[in-house]
Amino acid sequence: MRRRLSPEPERTEINVSPLIDLVFILLIFFIVATSFVNEVGITPKHKDTASSSSNLEEPLAFDLPASGQLLQDGMVIRLEQVAPLVRSSSMDKAPSVLVRVSPGARAGLATQVMDQAMLAGAQAVKLSPLAQ
Amino acid sequence: MHQPVGKPLSSSGAQSDCPMRGRHRSIENTEADAINVSPLIDVVFILLIFFIVSATFVTLPGIEVTRPQAVTGKALEKNAVIFALSGENEIKYAGSTVQLEEIPGLVEQASKDRGKPVVIQVDQWADASMLAKMVAQARKKSADVSIATRKPKA
Repeated sequence: MRRRLSPEPERTEINVSPLIDLVFILLIFFIVATSFVNEVGITPKHKDTASSSSNLEEPLAFDLPASGQLLQDGMVIRLEQVAPLVRSSSMDKAPSVLVRVSPGARAGLATQVMDQAMLAGAQAVKLSPLAQ
Repeated sequence: MHQPVGKPLSSSGAQSDCPMRGRHRSIENTEADAINVSPLIDVVFILLIFFIVSATFVTLPGIEVTRPQAVTGKALEKNAVIFALSGENEIKYAGSTVQLEEIPGLVEQASKDRGKPVVIQVDQWADASMLAKMVAQARKKSADVSIATRKPKA
């Protein structure tokens, strides 16, 4: 812009373009990195059984044996029947549901049972392993 | 330094007549001025620092699993301790296979007294009793244990 005639101590300007480039790249990286993990999921909440008051009523128990079936009270049911069963078992309050899984049962089925129970309004869903 | 004796550089060709008068730019001076980028840099730096501070780097398990479908799945906390249970019933954490008994220690180490939630990415063909044991182990150290699912296709 201005002609520099000689190495006289004239006002020089630092070229900030590479700096801006770098800072923009860092900025875009951090903007993108804030949303790397976007996970949806269910959170089966259950009260820790320290208080005996939660044991007043028996939780509705579903069994998942290794055969891949879904049992409730000894009878084979389908996944679609879980939500109506949970709803009908709760007359006045949200029931608690216990899902007992045997080794060999599929985690996908267990998760879907918990999902259906929570869909029906179960407040406490507990997943408990059964020893073989 | 050579003297620009001939024609001046074309980009900065609109030199004022006298170099000493270049500071007092008048209206009719159509010289290509450099835009003042200092406020831009300020704003960008502030944004950069904001995103650096707010960035949460989570440790991914290192495998990709087929999550079970669930209709009640909600968005989970991003800043979580993530475990994965593969279809071969291996527990993965930060790219390596860990044992069931190591889970409480890992949760405690990763959450650093901040009570991070735990997310378990489970393969839908994994063993459900293994999942139940993982949930039980993780609940020893964290009150908030979730199972990652995926939305069913509509």
